[in-house]
Amino acid sequence: MSAKHTKFYLDKENRKWKGVCSGIADYTGVDVTIIRIGLVILTFVGGFPWTFIAYWVAAWLAPVKPRELAFETPEQTKFWQGVRASPARTVRDVRSRFREIDRRLAEVETYVTSSNSRLAREIEQLR
Amino acid sequence: MEEVIIPIIVVPILFIGLPWLVFHYITRWKTAATLTTDDERLMEELYDLARRLDDRMCSIERIMTAENPNWRAIACDPASTGIEDLTRSPAAARRIGQ
Repeated sequence: MSAKHTKFYLDKENRKWKGVCSGIADYTGVDVTIIRIGLVILTFVGGFPWTFIAYWVAAWLAPVKPRELAFETPEQTKFWQGVRASPARTVRDVRSRFREIDRRLAEVETYVTSSNSRLAREIEQLR
Repeated sequence: MEEVIIPIIVVPILFIGLPWLVFHYITRWKTAATLTTDDERLMEELYDLARRLDDRMCSIERIMTAENPNWRAIACDPASTGIEDLTRSPAAARRIGQ
């Protein structure tokens, strides 16, 4: 049983305090600095106790990121961020890639078959 | 009169309506379609497969281009343009190929 990719985890590796902000950044793909600054601004603007409560609840409830998910290439990280944002879009994306491959393969196939017949014709003419 | 009516209205709302609402949304949330681990694995596999096929397709196209630069033109219009054109005038063949 492998760890799920579409869950929220605390990112302890890039943490400043408890790893909630870096976890959000890892989950959504938004830059971690923007999230931290946004949270601080939100705290000053009027969410004073609530941002802290939310932060603590998140830090208390969310599990730490499993170690097997830590060794991702940047491309994989991006892929999973896309899946979390919208699985349907990722599926459509993969489907369009397959269609594109199908089209290109058809082109190659047409060329190979037509050039074979052309070669046969040329040989016929030489006889 | 009002002291009697207000609790009669408020108490059912608090103790029946509110839990009802909460549990209604909890059950909806539980039954909502989520990705299972198998779905995730399948998705990753398909994505990987698409990427690999894409790479293979690219290398095949590169090989074809190295062999015969205007293969696309031949594939699009197999009747008129051909190998003869290529040998006769390379410039024209290159133009077709682009």
